[in-house]
Amino acid sequence: MHKRWFCFILTMGSSLSLAAQSTPAPMNADRDPDAIAALNKMGSYLRTLGAFQVQSTQTKDDVLENGQAIQSAGVVDVLAVRPNRLRAEITSDDKHQLLFYDGKNFTIFGQLVNYYATVPAPSTIGELIDKLDQKYGIEMPLVDLFIWSTPQSDAEKQITSAIDVGPSSVDGTSCEQYAFRQEGLDWQIWIQLGDYPLPRKLILTTTTDDARPRFSQVLRWNLAPSFNDAAFTFDPPDGARKITIAEVTASYQGEPKTGSSK
Amino acid sequence: MNRSIQNLLSITLVLLLSCTPSFAQRGGGSARTSVNRGNVNRNANVNSNRNVNANINKNYNANVNRNVNVNVQHDVDVHGGYYGGGCCYHPVATAAAVTATAMVTAAVIGSMVNTLPPSCTVVMVNGLTYQQCGSTWYQPQFVGTSTTYVVVAAPR
Repeated sequence: MHKRWFCFILTMGSSLSLAAQSTPAPMNADRDPDAIAALNKMGSYLRTLGAFQVQSTQTKDDVLENGQAIQSAGVVDVLAVRPNRLRAEITSDDKHQLLFYDGKNFTIFGQLVNYYATVPAPSTIGELIDKLDQKYGIEMPLVDLFIWSTPQSDAEKQITSAIDVGPSSVDGTSCEQYAFRQEGLDWQIWIQLGDYPLPRKLILTTTTDDARPRFSQVLRWNLAPSFNDAAFTFDPPDGARKITIAEVTASYQGEPKTGSSK
Repeated sequence: MNRSIQNLLSITLVLLLSCTPSFAQRGGGSARTSVNRGNVNRNANVNSNRNVNANINKNYNANVNRNVNVNVQHDVDVHGGYYGGGCCYHPVATAAAVTATAMVTAAVIGSMVNTLPPSCTVVMVNGLTYQQCGSTWYQPQFVGTSTTYVVVAAPR
């Protein structure tokens, strides 16, 4: 059923959308309510997870000035315990970083450079996401997982097109593949079928750039992680040096702020 | 004098060989990495550094490179094992190296580099970490999740 509809859209292509523009179509005609519902179900389920560990294998395109897309790869490993503990490890071609959040402080540690910075943190992961974003320009790793179907998310209302593509397997697990469009972004998500509607794969295509750079990630979940409290608090290794985190308000060209991370 | 000219030539050569081609390609965008956060690239000029991971669009101050040949006499032996750590195999990282090379000569206070010149010394002043590289002082800081060095006035 969904497959056929998808094919129909593909074959009709632009003529269909032209027709939709010129004739009074119902609101959100391009939004399959089942696809939206699947997103919401996934978001609601994610919010029920008290503790989880998820490993994200990622690729990301950067675009050179000549329009050529260059891919980089990395792995992000996140251990989260709601409401107020999180540890993340980011490993890529040229980066190895650890993030720590224990409900009181947030620390970023660059293992290769052996620098770290610690700043006071708000009392929940949700608030931390906003603070990191607004004050320090840091996007929480795998931020989508924490804010889907929450007031912090602006995804659902921005979706202009939602399609249920059909069944698709990720890592041998049966999933349903969905495709969405919103301004500046086309994205696809693979949601696990069955009792655990987890996102298993995501592909984001930025459409504001002619090169259409992509970000993709495959997610592997552990819903019963083992951990101890020490995992969330940074203990500086020998030789690690404390530095600051630049605040977003600090001008790129301006004088450095020397006291921004007390 | 001869030494200066030699250095000038060496640096020019380094730039020609390893850096110039990719430098011309800087400045594109990056793929968005989250669905739910609309405008994650709004800090385009604040974040830095592909050295540490991606975000090419967020980096480089092209103006810096204009000074390369001006103050070259400051750059004794800059080319000697400058990137001996093997940091810059990636074409994108190479561009960061360009910036750093230029900064050694320009050392504009407040400007940022992604890699340090050689032979720097870590100095702690009032509990903060600095890197002293000859007469130029750098303060390491995280900009976003990238490590960047800001040229600062000598803190002491």
